[in-house]
Amino acid sequence: MGDKVLKVLKENTMLIVLVAVVLFFNFTTKGMMLQPSQFNALITQNAYVYVLATGMLMCMLTGGNIDLSCGSFVCLVGVIGAKVMVEKQMPVIVGVLVMLIVGVIYGALLGAIIAYVNIPPWIATLAGFLALRGWGVALMNGASNISPLPVSFSTAFTGKLNDLLGGPVIGGVQYNMTSIVVGIIISIVAVFLLLNGRATKLKKGYQADSLLSVVVKCVVITAAIMLFAYKLSLAGGIPFALLWVAAIVVIYSFITSMTDFGRYFYTIGGNAEATRLSGIDTKKIMFIAYLNMAVLTVVSAFLTMGRFQAANSTAGTNYEMDAISACVVGGVSAYGGSGTVFGMIIGATLIGVINLGMSLMGIDANWQKVVKGVVLLGAVVFEILNNKKNAVK
Amino acid sequence: MGSNIGNTLKKYTMVIALVVIVGIFYIGTEGTILLPQNVNNLLSQNAYVFILATGMLLCILTGGNIDLSVGSVVCFVGGLGALLMSKGYNVVIAVIAMLICGILIGAWQAFWVAYINVPPFIATLAGMYAFRGLSNVILDGHVVAISNTTFLNVFGGGADCYIPDFFGGGNFNITCMLAGVIGVAIFVINELRARISAKRKGYSTTSSFAFIVKLVLVSVVVLYMAFKLAGYKGIPTSLIWIIVVVLAYHYFTTKTTMGRYLYAVGGNEKATQLSGINTKKVYFFAYTNMGFLTAIAGILTVARATNAQPTYGMFYEMDAIGACFIGGASAYGGTGSVFGAIVGALLMGVINQGMSIMGVDANYQKVVKGLVLLFAVIFDVVSKREKK
Repeated sequence: MGDKVLKVLKENTMLIVLVAVVLFFNFTTKGMMLQPSQFNALITQNAYVYVLATGMLMCMLTGGNIDLSCGSFVCLVGVIGAKVMVEKQMPVIVGVLVMLIVGVIYGALLGAIIAYVNIPPWIATLAGFLALRGWGVALMNGASNISPLPVSFSTAFTGKLNDLLGGPVIGGVQYNMTSIVVGIIISIVAVFLLLNGRATKLKKGYQADSLLSVVVKCVVITAAIMLFAYKLSLAGGIPFALLWVAAIVVIYSFITSMTDFGRYFYTIGGNAEATRLSGIDTKKIMFIAYLNMAVLTVVSAFLTMGRFQAANSTAGTNYEMDAISACVVGGVSAYGGSGTVFGMIIGATLIGVINLGMSLMGIDANWQKVVKGVVLLGAVVFEILNNKKNAVK
Repeated sequence: MGSNIGNTLKKYTMVIALVVIVGIFYIGTEGTILLPQNVNNLLSQNAYVFILATGMLLCILTGGNIDLSVGSVVCFVGGLGALLMSKGYNVVIAVIAMLICGILIGAWQAFWVAYINVPPFIATLAGMYAFRGLSNVILDGHVVAISNTTFLNVFGGGADCYIPDFFGGGNFNITCMLAGVIGVAIFVINELRARISAKRKGYSTTSSFAFIVKLVLVSVVVLYMAFKLAGYKGIPTSLIWIIVVVLAYHYFTTKTTMGRYLYAVGGNEKATQLSGINTKKVYFFAYTNMGFLTAIAGILTVARATNAQPTYGMFYEMDAIGACFIGGASAYGGTGSVFGAIVGALLMGVINQGMSIMGVDANYQKVVKGLVLLFAVIFDVVSKREKK
């Protein structure tokens, strides 16, 4: 029994760390951390982390490969989009399409250089890190931002879902009913999936988690979702940013865990040569990983621009760091082959909570950089040491 | 003979590229880039590139590993030294403190890379952010001026730090020209001796044509530089530091066992380990050494600017990595030379300098540097693939 509890604890280290960090910040900010508006801020301010980390996850799975250029690309593609929408006065849809096309072109170029020419990813993307921001800033002709973006663009990425159900006002506070209902539905779906997954495993005779751990998981997840739903309902409802993040996370969670194609990313990271010899086009997978990364970077540029309602010359600074950290903190191996979307979400949330908590505490931006560096290094070291122990067993 | 020339050309592609690029900038700047003062600036403004590229080369040799933190560490170490001196500490103490600080930072990152197996780009990416943040913290966002003249004179500070002319040549610095001639003579004699001894032992040597081309090329470049420098104010003190570091590491990588281990680890880590060499130690050495050389680059940087600012050292890692790859170091480790890194650093310097003189926007300079880095690596990878 004791062993079992220990095992459950070990498997969910980062979840426990997340809860501890939230409580720590809540204590040091005298309860500000758990205010409804902070839940809203956590999502809207860190939406880009979730989106970029999803793309980074796919790259890292193929063998610890990263993309250092994504932050600079957020800047460049934002400037291009803003030029189209603001300076050329084109409709929003044209701007969005242009940005996506630029993303596909860059992704294809990067993917080709990495997968087919065999340039080490960190060099290819380091060049992009430098060149793309330079180019983006140069295109702005000395302005520090291009604004204002069309209202419909900003709203699509930063607005809030209208309360379709007309929530009640209790004690002078407006509750958003839609948010609560969506929370309940997601909770039910999550519990059903977990229980169903266990039942299928048992039926097929696979090893499954103990009933206790599944029940604990259900309770924790439901509690977390409902807490979020409740707080968001007090803060004016579900932000659109959350819908974008949720859509991306669900799609990639499905791809990585349910499709053959998704499994290829893991097998390449596990053993590229064996994967190739078993007839899988490893170059194509690498190509797609980076193409996909560029497209998701464009999506995170949408979210970033929407939030600031402008394209900034400093947009995307250090984003690559946040995305890589989110993955590594979420248990994605720095050598590839293991990691899950769920883990990445925990990692991204932790990074987001640290960002938010430090700003609330009024910690100097420079110390924030130091803390982020230390968190990244600490997470990798933890992951490597942890795996070493497991390997010895 | 035809294939001989072809081989020679291939071997010195980057030297030829250097000449071509100088030519382009010569036309682009209407000759300004080769004015004595600009040749002088080329060396003293890019002193950090030469030093960092040498250190980066050792890291790259071990298997294409890099150090992304050097720019931030240059800033941090420089800031520390400037603060110590502004608080009235002795120069010697300040310099020693900077060197120790650099070595400690190097060892800290080396520990994670070598003994815990943290991928170098992640360990040093963390350092890149942490030390940039810490630089801001210690400097408190301010500019800290350095007024200590000893420090400035020794490390080539400001615009006026030259080796005095012992012969009093008036407008033409004879010491400088003489140093150039002696340097070339030593180089030629050394090369000849090495070639004769190699022939006697029956080793294969490059064709005499290639050998002569190399001697002539190097001699002409060195003498030309000496001539230009002599026409300005003589040998900048920062050049002395570059030469010392370059010669020391050239010797180290080519003549010592430890130096050869770096190549062995990059060539085949497993085989090296199985032949009884402690590969972890080799990694540890490479990254600790990088910290040491970064400290020297930091000293030269703040001396040159006569102050320390929290923005110093930005993108220095790019210059250093670019210089190594342009100079023929393999992105997968195991090949590369200090000589190559120097050619690469010169090329990077010429590009920096040429674009500044031409008044190219700083942002487009970044674009060009990024592309140069990318194409140097693509060229390297593709040309090696063809050989196979």
